[in-house]
Amino acid sequence: MIRLICYLMGGKYMKAANFSYYEAKNIQDAIKIKANDEEAVILAGGQSLLPALNMRLSSPSCLIDISKISGLNDIIIDGDYLFIGALATHSDVMRNEIVSQKMPCLIDILKMVAHPAIRNKGTHGGSIAYGDPAAELPALAVATNAEIILSGQNGDRSINANDFYLGLFETAINQDEIVVGIKYPLLKQGQVFLFDEVCRRHGDYAMAGLIANIILSSNKVNDLKLVFFATGDKPDVADKTAKLFLQTGYDYDQLKNSLSSEIDFAGDLNSSSEMKLHLATILIKKIINKLEA
Amino acid sequence: MAANNTLSISFTVNGEKFNNVNVPSRQHLADFLRSQGFTGTHLGCEQGACGACTIEMDGKAVRSCLVLASQANGSDLKTVEGFDDKMMEQVKQSFLKHNAFQCGFCSPGMLMTTKEILLSKKKLTRDEIRSEISGNYCRCTGYQSIVDAIEECINEVN
Repeated sequence: MIRLICYLMGGKYMKAANFSYYEAKNIQDAIKIKANDEEAVILAGGQSLLPALNMRLSSPSCLIDISKISGLNDIIIDGDYLFIGALATHSDVMRNEIVSQKMPCLIDILKMVAHPAIRNKGTHGGSIAYGDPAAELPALAVATNAEIILSGQNGDRSINANDFYLGLFETAINQDEIVVGIKYPLLKQGQVFLFDEVCRRHGDYAMAGLIANIILSSNKVNDLKLVFFATGDKPDVADKTAKLFLQTGYDYDQLKNSLSSEIDFAGDLNSSSEMKLHLATILIKKIINKLEA
Repeated sequence: MAANNTLSISFTVNGEKFNNVNVPSRQHLADFLRSQGFTGTHLGCEQGACGACTIEMDGKAVRSCLVLASQANGSDLKTVEGFDDKMMEQVKQSFLKHNAFQCGFCSPGMLMTTKEILLSKKKLTRDEIRSEISGNYCRCTGYQSIVDAIEECINEVN
């Protein structure tokens, strides 16, 4: 998405506009500053924010750096959930024992997120909060019905990822709130998450991607949730298409018709909306092939 | 509120200590390093795609165009100028032997990525090497000679 906007702007700027920088001592400190300055922006890993600043797509008054706050990068089992602290980097998550046991698909997904040097800095919470429609993690949060934990002036609250993404880079985060962690429900009996995406070059944003939340019983797909990314302005849930698939199995034309009525496909630099529709339909087949393998 | 447009930071580059250096808050680390004379760090795209500005920050490879200089306060940085240990000398010789430098623009980032590959101790196939260096653009070599050089390094180190 960012690449598209850069292209449209003709690469006019390459250096960030002026802003002030504030290193938050703790989360309360960061919340206080953010609550009082509606143009302030939280800086975590900065791997999506800094390109946007360099291109002057965004010119905040102040960056509130939360990256040095301790205690925000825990990865733990919390009841029936896998909790990932907002500041855990993608590299931290990929190397984590608990993640590899409880949510192996997350590691497969993160392998597709940019490159090692970017994953060393980019954070889990940052990707969730930034809400890039072409990013994998927001779609994963929606597909798994994850809970997003926000800290604000009145304490913590939790919001389901299905209610979190409102539009293009638009989320339900209030002005005084900061994402502090994400809770993924642990896998139930017979449940699998499968993921696939199509992109021109390893590590680039996908042209279209799909995360499927599948419940199997006696080797048959019993329930299915399909969440597409890089297709519209936010993670796109395709419930009607999932239901159709459960009834009729894979039929390219039928599923394509259903997807086109359900998702408002938005073309970008690499692929037109028709191409994205085609790729989204094919991705269902690719996921099913993985399931059968 | 102690938010500023200019900050005073202290950090280490290749073992050399810098104390209380003034830095504009909007300046990214790659520009800042170059302004301090570390011009081995190259700037290509400034949006994290090309990999030419990759440096080591507190032991991890990062894109220095995607880190603010102000974030480097207290950090231990290593740029291509500091790649003088035995392993990196060997890597440079291997790059020279296979003509993997050519114009040299991507080389600082390529060397950094090669270092990460070697430290990971993974024995990679040529395809896997291409995948590992996919975050670094080279516009001269067609990558062939770089893959040759990295393949030789992997065989020598492991």
